[in-house]
Amino acid sequence: MLPDELKNKLRKMIAGAESPREKAIDVMFEIQELQGWMSDEAMVEAAELLGMTPLQLEELATFYDYIYRSPVGKYVIKVCDSTVCWLEGHQRVVDYICSRLGIPLGGTTADGLFTLLPVCCIGYCDRAPAMVINKRVFGELTTEKIDRVLAQLAQTADFSGWE
Amino acid sequence: MPRLIIDEREIEVPEGTKVIDAAERLGIVIPRFCYHEALGSVGACRMCAVKFVQGPFKGVQMSCMVDARDGMVVSTTDEEVVGFRKRVIELLMKNHPLDCPVCDEGGQCLLQDETVSGGHGLRRFPGPKRTYRDQYLGPYIKHEMNRCIHCYRCSRFYQEFCGYYDLGPMQIGDRLYFGRFSDGALESPFSGNLVDICPTGVYTDKTARFKLRRWDLQRAPSLCNLCSLGCNTVANGHYRGVMRIEARFSSEVNGYFLCDAGRFGFSYANGAEGARARPLSPAIAGAPASASAALDRAREALNDIAAKFGPGAIAVAGSGRNSLETQSMLDLVCKKRGWSGPVLFPTPSVRRKTLEAVKGLDSRIAVSMGDIEKSDFVIIAGADPLNEAPMSALALRQAARNGAPVVTIDSRPVALPCGFDHFPAAPRDIERYLAALVVKAVESEAAGFGKDAEAFYRHLKEVHENFEPPLGLARLCELLRESKRPVILCGTDAIPESTPAFVSGCARLLGLAGKKAGLFYLLPGAGSFGAAQLCGTEDKTFFEILEDIEQGLVRALVVAECDPFHDYPDRARLESALSKLELLVAIDYFDSQAVGCASIFYPASTIFETRSTYINQEGRVQVAERVHCGGAPIRGGNHPPRIYSGLVPGGDHLPAWKALGQIAGLIGADEASAQTFLPPALCPGEGKRVPMAKAGFPETPGFAGGSDGKAALNGDLFDLLTVEWMFGTSEFSVWSDSLDAAVSPPLMSINSKDAARIGLCDGDRVSVELEAGAFEIAVSVSDKTAEGVLVVPRHKELEWRKMKDFSVSVAADKVRKIGAK
Repeated sequence: MLPDELKNKLRKMIAGAESPREKAIDVMFEIQELQGWMSDEAMVEAAELLGMTPLQLEELATFYDYIYRSPVGKYVIKVCDSTVCWLEGHQRVVDYICSRLGIPLGGTTADGLFTLLPVCCIGYCDRAPAMVINKRVFGELTTEKIDRVLAQLAQTADFSGWE
Repeated sequence: MPRLIIDEREIEVPEGTKVIDAAERLGIVIPRFCYHEALGSVGACRMCAVKFVQGPFKGVQMSCMVDARDGMVVSTTDEEVVGFRKRVIELLMKNHPLDCPVCDEGGQCLLQDETVSGGHGLRRFPGPKRTYRDQYLGPYIKHEMNRCIHCYRCSRFYQEFCGYYDLGPMQIGDRLYFGRFSDGALESPFSGNLVDICPTGVYTDKTARFKLRRWDLQRAPSLCNLCSLGCNTVANGHYRGVMRIEARFSSEVNGYFLCDAGRFGFSYANGAEGARARPLSPAIAGAPASASAALDRAREALNDIAAKFGPGAIAVAGSGRNSLETQSMLDLVCKKRGWSGPVLFPTPSVRRKTLEAVKGLDSRIAVSMGDIEKSDFVIIAGADPLNEAPMSALALRQAARNGAPVVTIDSRPVALPCGFDHFPAAPRDIERYLAALVVKAVESEAAGFGKDAEAFYRHLKEVHENFEPPLGLARLCELLRESKRPVILCGTDAIPESTPAFVSGCARLLGLAGKKAGLFYLLPGAGSFGAAQLCGTEDKTFFEILEDIEQGLVRALVVAECDPFHDYPDRARLESALSKLELLVAIDYFDSQAVGCASIFYPASTIFETRSTYINQEGRVQVAERVHCGGAPIRGGNHPPRIYSGLVPGGDHLPAWKALGQIAGLIGADEASAQTFLPPALCPGEGKRVPMAKAGFPETPGFAGGSDGKAALNGDLFDLLTVEWMFGTSEFSVWSDSLDAAVSPPLMSINSKDAARIGLCDGDRVSVELEAGAFEIAVSVSDKTAEGVLVVPRHKELEWRKMKDFSVSVAADKVRKIGAK
């Protein structure tokens, strides 16, 4: 069940749109902001608010990388797997993170802190290889840099100090 | 009109024709998966590649995406393009399982055909195949996603063409999945078409699963006789049973598709063991008898009655289920033998409404479903298309997709798979709303209408005088005025008797106002048009026959494919009257209650077992060919008797007309053809319309009751109306267990204001007390139901026949709440 406060906020958001459907992604982002991912129940409730069938919302939700239909960690690490990053050692980055966190690609650490996923080109080709963690981008990745970022996030839950 | 050359043959095609269709006209079927004429082009599968050798552009292109143009030279056999298609099919097959031997589509699979014809015989890809979890999609459709080649036909059909949104594409890339949000029965009543439209075996017919292979089937062009539309089908027989129904293309009637009731409602035709088995053996006094004994006995017994009381003491009844052959024989028997009848309608009101509709169907304005799709404004007056004639709702959706506004004027909470404006109107108000719409739309042209039309126009103005048009009507009047091809669709069920003629008058007026106006009626049954032509001039229906039985004028009754226990609205009176009969002869393919109490019973052939003619509601004559002989099924139950004879076990059935002709002594056992006695006027040729006399404007224009429409709202009386549902009300629903899964429990619709006034909430159970007893039903409260009416389905689980008529008045205090949700 979505909290009433959130529901009211979403209703207002939808009412402001020319057609409710155009707010579908924003509604899902709002819910994810609060709950971390889109559960089946949240999908059904969001679809109802939007006047769509759950299937129609699911079509959108499963199309986009940034909407999660299963639980993810607090930090979602997305490593770019497009051409330039791939040339610059994307696989090494993935392998390193996998071994450091002890999870496969697509997995979440037992403490619920990190999830590792691939992502399409994020336009950081000039600083390849690159990754995105939540909304922060990290380029020119080296094992040391990855270590420092992950250690800082694990200890302080704080992005400060990074570009 | 562009002329182009395809594979060295020239063809001229209409502007806008795709190259793939142009080739098909030459008999060249270019391989395709995603392209379907009804769905249009998307260019997703890359299978229909051809090479453009000369013309506006050159090279390999998708033939479904390119309009035919002058000067094009196209090759479908060029080496480059053959190689292209071979690689495409190989890629499409990369993930497809090699499960043809256990796949129901095997043998009738487009993917199979095109893989082989595309030249991809051996797999080169050794890797693991993509797999999915399948979903439960309800009782009719089996899901097998591993077979999917991602052509998008299913979701485009389901969502775009039909307007239902619970099945569609999810995920991306090679995870693409077609299904529902979660397991559950598909909501669309057109879901069965997924079986036909899927180029491979993702969606297969669950009712026929693992029972058949295409090459084992006896196939023949047939018709659906579940409603009056007469959709074209291909029926598949196997081991004396009907196994599956497929849609057969008809540009005028059903297009490529069928509704689920028509597709899955055939199990009544299969003799099998069970509570609702089809009776296959003739019977005398309830005991099995030989075919000749039953026919002889019936003939003798009827002769006795005729000798004792005169031939008029024998009455004959048919129904809207009859084929034209049976109705013609019923007519002939009465003429030749002097028997009473034939009566083909249950009550005078049903007869008059049907007759008025048929009379109003001027050939100049009669339209087909194909025409509805092309119309630019549709008014639905007193009809519920989705429930009364489901495929017409699909035609309405296509009109709406092309931009036509759709307006419904009806007492029911009508649902349609498209956007529409609904005006809830009690039956007596329907004409008033229609008048308000039409008057405004034609008023600027009204001066030059001519005498009769002007009289009708003046009447229209009177009808909606003092009528305050509801919000939104003015805008629609304006749109109707601007329309060029408006169509009025009119029902013949929950309406006053005057409405069919009134609607015909309105359509004519629109025609006079310079529009290409169309008229489309829905009739009670598949044989209703023929019944209206052959029911004679005497105003006689089953109602009058009952009176005659009660007065002792009629002593024997022959019912041919007619079950008064289902059709007649007053059960108590029917039972008491029938008990007075000396002889009841039943000829039917249902194990109806009338069959149960008949002195002599003879099994009739179904539509699948005899060649039969039906005239659909727009007057189109269509023929259902014989599919198979029928009989005791070989599959399921016990093995049929091992008797050495030339007869098919359980094959002692005759077309109703033959049995009737023999009982009446008109034809011998070897009479084979019905052609000799079919009325020539009703046989203009298969697929053609019966030429209709041009009826004029209604003489005493309708508007029965003449109330101001407000009287009942404040009063204590409700109009209790009975209506059809797609599932659960027709005789086919009663006798086809294959439809059981789709039947939902009966609900009584009531307007929210009325519900509040008498203290009812949505979901409450009520008892409706009638003179002849009470029935209980759950209530559905809606703003879309007209005020002052209660609507109940003629549901097989509801004892609505206590009402004594198809619609009655009920005092508000007779509707008592007996339980909450």
